Amino acid sequence: MKNGLQPTVTLTVDDKEVTVPTGISVAAAVLGHLHLGCTCVHPVDKTPRAPYCLMGVCFECMMEVNGEENVQTCLVSVEDGMVVKRQLKVPEAK
Amino acid sequence: MENQTDLIIIGGGPAGLAAACSASSCGLEVAVVDEQSSPGGQLFRNIETPLGQSLLDDGDRQRGLELVRNFRAAKIKYYPDTVVWGVEPNRVSCTDKDGARLLHGACVVIAPGAMERPVPFPGWTLPGVITAGGADILLRSGGTLTRESSDPVVLAGNGPLLLLVACHLLDNGVNIAAWLDTGCWPKRFAGGAFMSWSFLDAGYMSKGKAMAKKILGGKIPFVTGVKQIRAAGDTRVERVVYEKGGKRHEIDAACLLRHEGVIPRTHILRSMGALHRWDKVQRYWYPVTDDFGATSIDGIYLAGDANYVHGGDASIIKGTLAGIDVARKIGVITKGEAAFRSEKHLKQLRRIRIARSFLRYMFAPHPDIFGVPDETIVCRCESVTAKDIRKIAKEGNRDVNEVKLHTRCGMGPCQGRMCGTPLAEIVAAAQSTTPDKVGNLHIRQPFRPVSLENYCRVYTEEPADT
Ligand code: FES
Repeated sequence: MKNGLQPTVTLTVDDKEVTVPTGISVAAAVLGHLHLGCTCVHPVDKTPRAPYCLMGVCFECMMEVNGEENVQTCLVSVEDGMVVKRQLKVPEAK
Repeated sequence: MENQTDLIIIGGGPAGLAAACSASSCGLEVAVVDEQSSPGGQLFRNIETPLGQSLLDDGDRQRGLELVRNFRAAKIKYYPDTVVWGVEPNRVSCTDKDGARLLHGACVVIAPGAMERPVPFPGWTLPGVITAGGADILLRSGGTLTRESSDPVVLAGNGPLLLLVACHLLDNGVNIAAWLDTGCWPKRFAGGAFMSWSFLDAGYMSKGKAMAKKILGGKIPFVTGVKQIRAAGDTRVERVVYEKGGKRHEIDAACLLRHEGVIPRTHILRSMGALHRWDKVQRYWYPVTDDFGATSIDGIYLAGDANYVHGGDASIIKGTLAGIDVARKIGVITKGEAAFRSEKHLKQLRRIRIARSFLRYMFAPHPDIFGVPDETIVCRCESVTAKDIRKIAKEGNRDVNEVKLHTRCGMGPCQGRMCGTPLAEIVAAAQSTTPDKVGNLHIRQPFRPVSLENYCRVYTEEPADT
């Protein structure tokens, strides 16, 4: 891809540093650049899930961003120094 | 108060930007609220960066750049990274990094665009299964669908967007293992009958032809008449299983893209109780508007693909028309001036509508795609299966809202955005009727999650100022 002039940012995902183009979403960085597969464990049926629509419709891209849980990451742009954590803990039975 | 303006536009895609530019050129004060961090919407996503431009063809790149340049040059207030969760005539409630905000405006243009028709199938919640549009967003973010470029990717479904995405995948050297077509062939032939009109729209047609040629040249194995698609795998998709001619087939896949056409995003207008109409060929609800996008609610306009899906160039025209009509309504331009400004655009829009009427049939969704096995999860948020829905529907609950109450289908964070369409189809099929006869999920405001703190801030005291 011809993206020679494209500026980049560096963020951490699950303690791993990754450098990606600016302007993309956190979900796209985790799925398309890091290929981490599953991004959250579903709170109801506890199956692994991953971003499905990447445009704010499905709510399957929930991750922890800078300490805040359940952020819809396909609507959040990557920023330098951002700390992202996948939500992989199986939720306690209610 | 500085949060007061003439026109508030929701959405920074082709329609929203065009509406902003045309309204502002008529002399209105305009504010645009956008979920994304830069103007462009889905079609012109990230167009101000080399990456965003790289996958667009020349025509779209030019059009997009010009639109965004005009938008940036005009005196328009732009709120990026802002999620709207409430709309009433004259006011819009939203949240950004700094908290909640309440905007006041004489008119509101809603331009949320379209989304892919959600079609459930067994295994669609597995990581590695994504929508075709989602896959395109990954490519346009400089990413790849799979770790290795040799990993097999399978495309399944029907619709012009799938064609476009396939071309982008080929350009990126992706290994497309198969294209499983689920289209409705009798309707496609009906579409052929309308095709003679398409000479009115030569540009669009030649684009389609060029894409088809590329696909043929790419030698993608093309399987027609595919039914009962399922994704199989442990923690992510490993195989795609399908039926053709009554036989079961299987193919390895590291990634499965499913696409079944595009439908308008109607959440905002439905939450306001605006009038909608059912399209029985495309099987979706669309809001009733006049040529300028005025809805059944005074002062609320709709522009772009959320009105009726016609595509990006039509969205620009629809936006432009909405902007002009708002200026007329508010009274900064006369009726005559408005007619003069809109004449050319109205003509163009009518032309596009006629020319593309064949697409409506050509890419009509096959009703069978919703005849999914009982174990299929329909509501991804609440894990409600087709079986749960069918059971309740057969007990005599005719309306989708009753079925929702009994099953929780549509009660999760996406508020029925994903399951609303299949829910109606499955409930209708269980009662041998059509989806327009089983009601539409009631949408309540706030139509996006908002913290209690932000909610209260908007309704009780002064919201954040900037
Ligand atoms: S990926 Fe669907 S909402 Fe984020």
